[in-house]
Amino acid sequence: MADAPDVPWSRRQRACHECDQVLGDAVAPPGNKLECPRCNATLHRNPRGSVNHTAALSLTGLLLFFPSLSLPLLSFSILAFGAENTLLNGVRALFAEGYLWMAGLVLFCSVIAPLAKFLLLGFISLGCHWRLLDRPVTWSVRWYQHLKEWGMLDVYMLGLLVALIKMSDLGKMQVEPGLYSFVAMMVISNLTTLSFDQQAVWSRLERRRKRAPGPSPGEGPLVGSGEQL
Amino acid sequence: MSTMDRALSQGRTCCLSCHWLVTLPRGGGGCRCPRCGGKVHGRIEGSVMLTWALTITGALLLIPANILPVMTVVYLGSGEPATIIGGVMQLYTAGLWGIALIVFIASIAVPVMKLVGLVLLLLQVQGRLPINPSQAMTTYRIVSAIGRWSLLDLFMISILVALVDMGAVASVAAGPGATAFASVVVITMLAVRCFDPRLVWDTYYGNPYRNAGPDHRAPAAAGSRRGEKSDPIIKEPPEEGVAGDV
Ligand SMILES: [Zn+2]
Ligand SMILES: [Zn+2]
Repeated sequence: MADAPDVPWSRRQRACHECDQVLGDAVAPPGNKLECPRCNATLHRNPRGSVNHTAALSLTGLLLFFPSLSLPLLSFSILAFGAENTLLNGVRALFAEGYLWMAGLVLFCSVIAPLAKFLLLGFISLGCHWRLLDRPVTWSVRWYQHLKEWGMLDVYMLGLLVALIKMSDLGKMQVEPGLYSFVAMMVISNLTTLSFDQQAVWSRLERRRKRAPGPSPGEGPLVGSGEQL
Repeated sequence: MSTMDRALSQGRTCCLSCHWLVTLPRGGGGCRCPRCGGKVHGRIEGSVMLTWALTITGALLLIPANILPVMTVVYLGSGEPATIIGGVMQLYTAGLWGIALIVFIASIAVPVMKLVGLVLLLLQVQGRLPINPSQAMTTYRIVSAIGRWSLLDLFMISILVALVDMGAVASVAAGPGATAFASVVVITMLAVRCFDPRLVWDTYYGNPYRNAGPDHRAPAAAGSRRGEKSDPIIKEPPEEGVAGDV
C-alpha cells in the first residue's frame, strides 16, 4: 500500500507507469492481474502459458492472413452490375482517387500493423527460447509496444458491418468467404494481444542470463541503471 | 494515500515500454533502458507543450472534418456529397437508428470527448482545475481507450469506395473532409501518447525533484548500481502534507 512503512531498499522494485509510485516487484499469480494501489493501473497481467499460447495464436493468425487478404470480404450488386471488396482494393481505390494519406492510413491500420503484430509476437514467443536471438527479441518487444494500438482489425470489422447494413437497401449485399476468415483472424488477433505478457519474456531472458557464465554479450548490467545517451 | 514515494524523487523512473525501474543518470536528462533499449526520461519530454500543440491542431482540423463532405454516394445519376453529420442523419431517417448511433458515437462523440478530455487533463496538470487525481486518471484511461474507434468511418468509406463501383449506376467517392478527419484521429491518438499521466500526480503531490536536494536526479545511483547498498532514500513526507483523501 501507499503508506506501507520502510520497505528495505530491495534490488527489485517497480514503479507504476501511470503514477510513478514505487512498489515491490511482485508478479501477478497466473490467471490474475496486479493493480497499482494508488491509481489502479494494471501493472501486470499474467495469462496462463503466455509464451506458448502466444506462439500458437500468432502462427494461426499469420495463416489466416492469406485467405483474409486474397478472398473478397463482401460483394455488392445492383441488377447485373457487381463489385467486390477485399482488404486491399479499398486502399487501391482510395489511392487511385488521390487520397494518398487516407489510403496509407487504412493500409497501415488494417493490414500492415496487424500483420506486423503477428510477426513480432510470433518471433518473440518462438525466439525467446534461443540465447542467440536475445537482442532482436528485445528489439521486437519494444516495437510491439509502439505498434500495438495501431492494429485495428476490430474497428475494421465494425466498419464492414456498418457498410453492410448501410448499403443493403440500395442493392444486394452479400457476405463472401473472406469475411469468415477475416472474423477469425480478428478474434485470434485479440486473443494474441491478451495472451502476450512481456514480463514472461523478460524473466525468461533474465533466467537464462543468470544461468549462463559471465555476462551475455551486448547486454547491460542487470540492475536498473541506464547508460547515458 | 499519503506518501512521496514516487520513483522520480529517488532519481529513478519507470521505462514506459517495458516497465523496468531505471535509475536515471546523475547529471539529469534521459538514458536508454538497460532492459529493452527504449529511451527513458523522468517524464515524457515536453509532454505538456506537445500535447497542447497536438490537441489544438486536432481541434482546428475538426472544423473542416465536419464541414467538408466525407463521402458522395451517387445512385442512378443522383447524389450529393454528405458530411459526417449528414451521413448519420441519412442513416437515422432510413430507420437504421442503431447504426446511426454507432457512427455518431465513433465519428462525432469520440473525437469531441477526446479533445475535451485532453484539455481537462492539461488544465489539471497546469494546476487550474480542482479535479482529484483519480478522476483525472479515469479521464486519461477513457481517452486513451476510445480513440482508435473513430477510424470506423474511414474504414467504412474505404470499403464502400471499392464495393460500390458501378459507373453510372452507383458509385461512392471519398471527399476532402475524410482527409481532415483522418488527420484528427491520428493527431489525437498521438496527443494521448504524448501526455504523461504521472504529471497529474506530480501536480497533486508537488514537484518530485524538490525533495531530493540539489543533486536531485540520482541520489541512489551509486548504491543501486552495485545492487548492494540498501539505503532507504526518501522517507520524509511532503512538507505541505497531503491535500486530502483521494
Ligand atoms: Zn499507479
Ligand atoms: Zn525498458
